[in-house]
Amino acid sequence: MLGVARRMLRRSDLAEDAVQDALVLIWRRAAQFDPGRGSARGWIYTILRNRCLTMLRQEAREVSTDAADLDTTPLPEVLAQAHGGLEDATGLRQCLDRLDAPTRDAILASYVMGHSHGEIAGRLDSPLGTVKARMRRGLIKLRECLS
Amino acid sequence: MTERSLDMLIDEVVLGLASDADCARLERMAAADPALAARLERARQRFAPLDDTATPLPVPEGFWDRLSDRLDTAQIPPAPAEVVDLGEMRARLARWRGAAFGAVAASLLMACIAGWSLMVPPAPLVVTVLLDADGDAVALVESARDNTTRITLLEQPEVPSGRVMQVWTKPDDAGPPVSLGLLADGRSETLTIRGLTAPASQQLYEITLEPAGGSPTNLPTGPILGVGRANDPVI
Repeated sequence: MLGVARRMLRRSDLAEDAVQDALVLIWRRAAQFDPGRGSARGWIYTILRNRCLTMLRQEAREVSTDAADLDTTPLPEVLAQAHGGLEDATGLRQCLDRLDAPTRDAILASYVMGHSHGEIAGRLDSPLGTVKARMRRGLIKLRECLS
Repeated sequence: MTERSLDMLIDEVVLGLASDADCARLERMAAADPALAARLERARQRFAPLDDTATPLPVPEGFWDRLSDRLDTAQIPPAPAEVVDLGEMRARLARWRGAAFGAVAASLLMACIAGWSLMVPPAPLVVTVLLDADGDAVALVESARDNTTRITLLEQPEVPSGRVMQVWTKPDDAGPPVSLGLLADGRSETLTIRGLTAPASQQLYEITLEPAGGSPTNLPTGPILGVGRANDPVI
């Protein structure tokens, strides 16, 4: 859980906060969990991811004073690690491999690092509409490939 | 909404691209429609393998203490009908402390699946306030039915070097004291022991100063730091 949070938040201190928040939420909401609706693991990670996304989208972010907290791994490397970390045999890996590299990276950046459409467009220096349309086409392909 | 745009909404919620309003809308729809909930879950499962690609990180020092403090002050949701006992939660948490992180996630998962909502409210814990010779409270002892015992020191005791605090109880008032364990770090701690009968009201608890490593005779030999008898808390 900490690894997922730090990869998204790029800071280990915030990652710990996010995991703690998520664990408290999990305790509080345990009664709402319905095993018939899905795995507990998925449920736990969804709560964690949502917490991280909320923290990422918050405008005012305190600045970390401790450089040791910062994750300075360059973004392409983070994406390559996530992509490379998927086992070759998994459907997700095979289907992601069929997408063109910018689309694949955009989808990975959103899931793995919590980037918004706007952030992805800024990084690729492409118009927002183009990026959205490209990601949507990619997601359709991915869904068809995986179904 | 067309099926296709619904699929796209689901994907964008799972990826984290959707707005808060869209996320909330989909959650509401899924809550009312099991088929849609299953679609959402399938979409999550499609991307879940990416969660496993993150580098596992060690739990930072003090993580569990900070979490435990937060759970102590966490508000219990008002809606559920069952009583959730914070003391029991704390005891549970403490038992897990030190477990690998993944194992904790698994334990949470088990707590969920084992039917948190069906759980019978636990019997009240026994709570003991230990007093020193001057009548000052020095420690709070909370004991669960399985004798998981949380000791909260209320002041920093003076422990000479080469000495250690040892916690004792007398499950049978006429019998010998039984060691519950050492407070090796000189700090508040939760101790577990097997094979004792459930603690009862009026049971004696005490902390003594013993040679490092614990009493050589397995009976208290040193001065008493604090002693008290258990009470049933009113819950």
